[in-house]
Amino acid sequence: MAETFELADRYFERYQEIIPDYEKFLTSLAEPLPLYFRLNTLKIRDPEPVLRGLHRQGFEVEPVEAIPWFFRVEPREASLGNTEEYYLGLIYPMTLSSSLPVYALEPHPGELILDLCAAPGSKTTQIAQLTEDQAVLVANDRRLDRITALVANLRRLGVACAVTTVYRGEQFPLEVSFDKVLVDAPCSGEGRYRKGYEGELLYQKEGRTNLSGIQKGLLVRAYDLLKPGGVLVYSTCTLNPEENEAVVDYLLRKRQAELLDWEAPLPSHPGLTEWQGRPFHPDLRKARRFYSHEIGAVGFFVAKLRRTA
Amino acid sequence: MSRKNRRNRKKMDPRATWPRPVSPEERARILRFLEERFGFPPEIFEPYEFLATAKNYWLFVRTPHLENLSKLKIQTAGLLFLRKVGDYLKPTTAALQRFGRYATRNLVELDRLTLDRLRLEKKIPLKLEIEPGYVILTCEGQIWGCALYLPEKLISYLP
Repeated sequence: MAETFELADRYFERYQEIIPDYEKFLTSLAEPLPLYFRLNTLKIRDPEPVLRGLHRQGFEVEPVEAIPWFFRVEPREASLGNTEEYYLGLIYPMTLSSSLPVYALEPHPGELILDLCAAPGSKTTQIAQLTEDQAVLVANDRRLDRITALVANLRRLGVACAVTTVYRGEQFPLEVSFDKVLVDAPCSGEGRYRKGYEGELLYQKEGRTNLSGIQKGLLVRAYDLLKPGGVLVYSTCTLNPEENEAVVDYLLRKRQAELLDWEAPLPSHPGLTEWQGRPFHPDLRKARRFYSHEIGAVGFFVAKLRRTA
Repeated sequence: MSRKNRRNRKKMDPRATWPRPVSPEERARILRFLEERFGFPPEIFEPYEFLATAKNYWLFVRTPHLENLSKLKIQTAGLLFLRKVGDYLKPTTAALQRFGRYATRNLVELDRLTLDRLRLEKKIPLKLEIEPGYVILTCEGQIWGCALYLPEKLISYLP
């Protein structure tokens, strides 16, 4: 085990200069990730019965002040998937930071929105909830087995404003143009890494797959799927600048995209404008980096862009 | 068709075609059923339209984008809302969990013990003062979903 710990410390060493309070970050990796859920306001607006029910089943639940309808749960190692509240579609367990891309997207009723890498549906269902089931959502995922989970979650939460599709994201047909597109890209998952927990496997996947190549393909296609003036949100749960700033920088060089400021509800840091001697577009500072030890949830990267032409 | 296309198509669900929007008459029939059986006020479905497949009705947000969207190959559209069972319409548990709070008729409140027994045994003897037909199961203030009441027995459709 000790060997694994050293491995993690060595792995993150390359981020020593960019992660604020690096020692605290390293210490935090020994703690299991906090557990959160979102209350599904399409079905219930009063959290009390849900909190009472979960309490009866041995959970301690506290509302998250910064983000409406989110609750923090202990014991964090437990699963909410077997609870009655889950079965009835009253809650959606998801990490707090997963809500950030949806905040950046600012969905409104009536808008046509594509969630390009949607499964298992935390963000799709959150968009449905924020728009009172009145946006028009296309929830896509390239894998049919993951679509099954997505469809089950849409049904469980009672979402009626979404269609599901199974396209390879980078080949999503261009016949339909969207007001907004969300690319919550497949990534190395460094932001969810905890010593001895699930993230370990995810971060080791990096290196075997050309993730940034996939991410660039997805982001360029997402841009091409926008109406002029449309809004694009790119997010990952990794710290790796190659999968974050470098991917957005690539889009800025290939297309007429503009980075936008957005107000994040959790503490964040500007995106990097340089990494390992390589400069990125200066506007990348408008992207937001979220570190797990500062927000008490999975580390995240979120960039908001607009199609200008 | 090229070999590559055939291979891709195989992965798609063969049932995946766009459902058709229902006619105004069909919509009126659905809304009448929902109102007569459960007391659902028709106006709560105003923001939605019903789409039909061979055996099901789906609820989908009303949108001018529908025709445009039909260029996409889809897996599902909206919320599976009603199933056609013979001449009857059966609401899905998903539909009732979402909209059941607007219902005023044929709600069946069960105590925890009876609900657990129904979920376990799927069918229990029970005498109720209601017309046989589909009912909405509730327990401790929550809506659980769909069951069928036949004289002196209750049949669960909970997943």
